[in-house]
Amino acid sequence: MPSAAAGSRDPGPAIETLVARLLVIGTWVAVVLVLAGVLGMVLSGVDPLDHGERPVFDPGRVPADLLALRPSGFLWAGLVTVLLLPIGRVVVSGIGFLVARDRRLALVSLAVLVVVGVSIAAAIGLEG
Amino acid sequence: MTAGLILLAGGAAAGLFGSLLGLGGGLLIVPLLTLGFGVPLREAVAVSLVSVIVTSSAGAGVYLRRHVANLRLGMVLELFTAAGALAGGLIAFLLEERVLAGLFAVLLTWVAVSMARQGAVSAGEPVIVAPGPATDDEAPAAPDAGDPIATGVDVPASAAVEPVPVPDAADLATHLYGPGYRVRRMRFGMAASVGAGVVSALLGVGGGIVKVPVMHLAMGVPLKVATATSNMMIGVTATASAVIYLLRDEIDPYVAGPTALGVFAGASLGSRIASRVDVRVLRWLFVAVMAYTAFEMARRALGL
Repeated sequence: MPSAAAGSRDPGPAIETLVARLLVIGTWVAVVLVLAGVLGMVLSGVDPLDHGERPVFDPGRVPADLLALRPSGFLWAGLVTVLLLPIGRVVVSGIGFLVARDRRLALVSLAVLVVVGVSIAAAIGLEG
Repeated sequence: MTAGLILLAGGAAAGLFGSLLGLGGGLLIVPLLTLGFGVPLREAVAVSLVSVIVTSSAGAGVYLRRHVANLRLGMVLELFTAAGALAGGLIAFLLEERVLAGLFAVLLTWVAVSMARQGAVSAGEPVIVAPGPATDDEAPAAPDAGDPIATGVDVPASAAVEPVPVPDAADLATHLYGPGYRVRRMRFGMAASVGAGVVSALLGVGGGIVKVPVMHLAMGVPLKVATATSNMMIGVTATASAVIYLLRDEIDPYVAGPTALGVFAGASLGSRIASRVDVRVLRWLFVAVMAYTAFEMARRALGL
């Protein structure tokens, strides 16, 4: 059964609606941030194919770059938002399944997050 | 800055035509960036992954709100696509770019042949389906059930509305049922999902070309649900490998930004006008473009 709570309503649609809201709002936030970065590139004359040293992703610098209105700050913020959206979707779904006492799907959500976490750890390990 | 605007326009074209043809933008972005702009292949794959996540998130939001995608099935299968993508993302750094170019040439050739066969294809033969973002006022960009031009698979539209009794078996497949269908051959689906994840991470595509036929033809999921669920899964699948590219400094924000923005805009436009565009001529044009691109990728792979 989809939910362990026998006899109760299927919580799936409610979770889907919540996740949908997150994705739609998050996508627009990401698009606006990237758009701001691209406009910044245009205004500051950055050539994407010939701009010298490529900006390296440094999460600690993004807030400062945003405050300084640097295009790279907006671009990184937008791109990171893009990458965080699917992860956020899994987190919200997992919490939803947990609340609905659908332990199996909650565990699946956790396992997906573990795989993404392993990806991050592997990338950091390779970098080191 | 002209290059930035050209990247934006190129991304928009890739998103628009990919959406109109049900291909997704990823298949077109990598050749565009590598052959058109001289971006190294691995960087192009990384940019493509970011772009497909944007379109996937936008589309998945709409599909989930309409309750078209099967969230449970998608989450189980994306555990395996993400694992495949993790492996693919790591393998990508072990392979020479020439090998990646060769693999991409094979993929493009397969897509071109599939599209060329679409007119005569019979039911049961899967053809590419990787949707762009759906919009609120338009049907999902994914091919609809029963649309042989877009899918090559004839599916009765009534299949999604027949009531089915709630299963009481406790196995995973029955746990993932949807209205009008029950999921079958779960193990096969899981194995194929690992393959889809590897392909996605290596080549920067969404992997719908694997997932949709598997879900629809092998697992008994209605085509519309399969395309929507595949679209939703792309986000996590691509993220699992994109973070590897990001943390290994393979994502150039100045290239990724305009390209992803263009793909999003193009795919959004494509999903709005898809029902009003005759894609037959467009399809043959794309067969030619992909055949040429496959040839160029093969040349690069062979060092010619």
